[in-house]
Amino acid sequence: MLTHFQKMKLIVATNRLIGVCMLIISALGCKNSGNSSASTTLYKEDAINSVLADTIDMSGFPFIQERESRIAQALQSPLPVLLSGDSLSTNQSLAQIIAVNDSLFTKFIYNPSTHQPYRSEIFGVYPARQSDMGGVKTAYNLASSYRVEMYNYPLNITSIALVDIQQKKVLQSYYLASTQPDISLSLKNLAIKIAVESEIVQTALGVKPTEKDALMASTLTSLNRSKCERSRHLCVAPTFVKGDKALWAIVDLTDHRLVGIRWTNVGNSGPAAPMITERRLQDDKITSCFCEVEQKLSKNGWDLKYMLTSSDGLRVSDVTFNKKPVIRSAKLVDWHVSYSGTDGFGYSDAVGCPYFSQAAVVAWEIPKIVELKDNADRTIGFVVEQTYRSEGWPEACNYNYRQRYEFYNDGKFRVSCASIGRGCGNTGTYRPVFRIAFANEQSNFYQWNNGNWEQWQKEKWNEQMATSTYTPEGYMYKIGSTNNGFFIEPGKGQFGDGGRGDFSYLYVTKHFADKQEGENDLPTIGPCCNVDYHQGPEKFIEPQPDDIQNSSLVVWYVSQLRNDDRKGNEYCWAENILDKGVWTTKVYPCFAGPMFIPVSK
Amino acid sequence: MKNYLIFLLLISFYSCKEEEVEFSVNNCKRNPVFINSMGFNPTKSFLSTSDEKIMGLVLIESEMPGNPQAKRLKVSQHPSWTKAGWLAPILISEKGDIYTAPAPFINILNNPIANNNTIYKVDNSSGEMKEYLKLPFADSINTENPFGIIGMAYLCETQTLYVSTVAGSKRNEENGHIYAINTETGKVIDEVKNTDAMGLGISYMRGKRELYFGTGRNSDVAYIEVNSKGKFVGSPKFALTIAGLGPRGDDKVRKLRADQFGNLVLHGMEFSYNLIPPREKQETIYQFRFNEEQEKWEYSGN
Repeated sequence: MLTHFQKMKLIVATNRLIGVCMLIISALGCKNSGNSSASTTLYKEDAINSVLADTIDMSGFPFIQERESRIAQALQSPLPVLLSGDSLSTNQSLAQIIAVNDSLFTKFIYNPSTHQPYRSEIFGVYPARQSDMGGVKTAYNLASSYRVEMYNYPLNITSIALVDIQQKKVLQSYYLASTQPDISLSLKNLAIKIAVESEIVQTALGVKPTEKDALMASTLTSLNRSKCERSRHLCVAPTFVKGDKALWAIVDLTDHRLVGIRWTNVGNSGPAAPMITERRLQDDKITSCFCEVEQKLSKNGWDLKYMLTSSDGLRVSDVTFNKKPVIRSAKLVDWHVSYSGTDGFGYSDAVGCPYFSQAAVVAWEIPKIVELKDNADRTIGFVVEQTYRSEGWPEACNYNYRQRYEFYNDGKFRVSCASIGRGCGNTGTYRPVFRIAFANEQSNFYQWNNGNWEQWQKEKWNEQMATSTYTPEGYMYKIGSTNNGFFIEPGKGQFGDGGRGDFSYLYVTKHFADKQEGENDLPTIGPCCNVDYHQGPEKFIEPQPDDIQNSSLVVWYVSQLRNDDRKGNEYCWAENILDKGVWTTKVYPCFAGPMFIPVSK
Repeated sequence: MKNYLIFLLLISFYSCKEEEVEFSVNNCKRNPVFINSMGFNPTKSFLSTSDEKIMGLVLIESEMPGNPQAKRLKVSQHPSWTKAGWLAPILISEKGDIYTAPAPFINILNNPIANNNTIYKVDNSSGEMKEYLKLPFADSINTENPFGIIGMAYLCETQTLYVSTVAGSKRNEENGHIYAINTETGKVIDEVKNTDAMGLGISYMRGKRELYFGTGRNSDVAYIEVNSKGKFVGSPKFALTIAGLGPRGDDKVRKLRADQFGNLVLHGMEFSYNLIPPREKQETIYQFRFNEEQEKWEYSGN
């Protein structure tokens, strides 16, 4: 059964991880398992112990397959509306049929551009009340009138028809934007099934609950108590009470999956429990586990710490390989985005924590630890990956960034990142700024130049251009001492991740223990729109470059990635497509970043 | 003469980088003289701090003020209007002086945190913007919270400027202040401590002068009584909450005003003390009316 993450990978149009595939091995960090965490923090325990279930796929369950089969049939029918799954009376069924055959009521069931059907579903057919009939201008018989409610999933609108079955006509139709009607009994049961069949819920409760255990959201009040504000999906929260605590299981009824779980206190006194929603679940978990505390990871000979910063993305620190120090710290300082269509127009984005931060694009998910495998399915390393998103992505002027550290079993490592669009136009250039501080206190720096390694004597920068020369292996720089260092291989499109070359600026600065040159969290260090080497790190070089021989060195690496929206050439881009009647995002990431290869190899 | 009555201070509805000064019970603002001297038609002009491509304060003459899509006829900036970086609140006094303050936009490149607690004043006659008052900075100034002053209100009868700042607040420490400033002397006359307040507004609905404010930490609105000198009386009390209302359910009140009927009109949006651009956030308007029998505010719709 494919994980959600693998499914996500499958729709990446330009995902060419040649020889390398990724599998989720576990969702580490504050365990994300519902068990108590040993971390010391000021955050509430319920946030720490909450679980984000973004990698759990439930499509293998028969009841999900049956549901998706019904949706597929409806979408292929001449009238693509999923009729109510509830047991309706003859009159209710008649009202439903009259409504779905009314062109005004079904005004929004097709995408007007492509004529593809949206997923629309009848949620309820209720006897009309007098209060429903205020806008009806024609004569009607209240006893034979019904209120039919239909939900449009991709547009998130509710259509309402008032039907008089005696007259066999729709009396009035209207629409409510950004509104979700009361869910039907069949959807209620579906949500409960998704919750009770989820291993995460079962683990949290210590037992597989029965469907009766779920105190289901059958009223509007209960429905309001959970929202998926970010995905803008239809979500409800079956709740399980155990002792003096209640377990909220947020269920996404658009994607048929569990979003996550969180315990809250139940009591008759004190303040009401806060509403648990998708965003709150995500932000509290990320903050309590990855912004306030540093996590440790030991794997395949590598030992490291990692945490999310206020504005420098995911930082790794004290990285060792086979107990030998490699990196003091590495992080993603800035994303500079400029648009060539308008002079000086663009943004300088920082990425980081969701609460109390200088981040303009924040983390939505916890860091993922995934295995790296080669074509023969052998494990060759692992990846620590973090995603950041704007709320409205992939709409215009919203952003999605990915940051990735790859650690290989042979001591290689790579620092990389990608933009996944969509930004404010198709003339954008992204310039991510990496800072990588090496652990070796006696390093030198060399550049390959027409067959020779030339040592840099002082702090300096260099641009990777068409005329740049590389060793036969593809290396352009070397850092370290004679037998304790790394070759640096800039991206030229060779890493199999869809990257088309880094076109990078590389800066080398000297680390001073008594100077603040980026070891702590850095504010934005450069403006959006400089098109030359003035991306920020030069501030630590000019006007008097320091001697860097036998020193503790910091490498700054700035790739330049031009986006493209042309069909077949998309790069740093994303677009929404209708899949099974709902919006799915097709992504075209532009990965960039250098590989560091141990000199001893 | 009529100009000050019809000069419009309008801005688009979507940004939190803006402050709209409304005519209401507590309205005494006067049209700044420099509007005419800069050659702008006061009936079609407005001041804005929310233009994403123009940093600072900007004077705009539009075919249709209030409509963000309308054609702009003229745009102008006094050279001093950019020196404080990106700005947020705008407040006009009965003399036509404008009070404003810096607020970061997407990043702090042009808005150093050390300047976040400074009030600027644009002179009614010359249009020049100068530093007016540096509010005290909390000892706990930190880099994780990029905000300082985020709200302003003006009590006409006492010529008191109320300013809310969250400078120095941390995730686990509420260190914000509401300051009362006598605009005649330029001195702080009172303060509320350890309170992160966002939008501020004056209401007389309970028969008293009351300063209402949205809280930065949750979806509540609180109020504190104000005396005839403009000073605070007692401590803040809970007034109402928008928790659970609207499409998100956890909005914070970033702007607040009393309308001509005494109803409170609240502008709510997501706020998590980060630099997510305002354009990426949806804003919802919530209206509350005062139930005099039960002496409480009741939600009356969007």
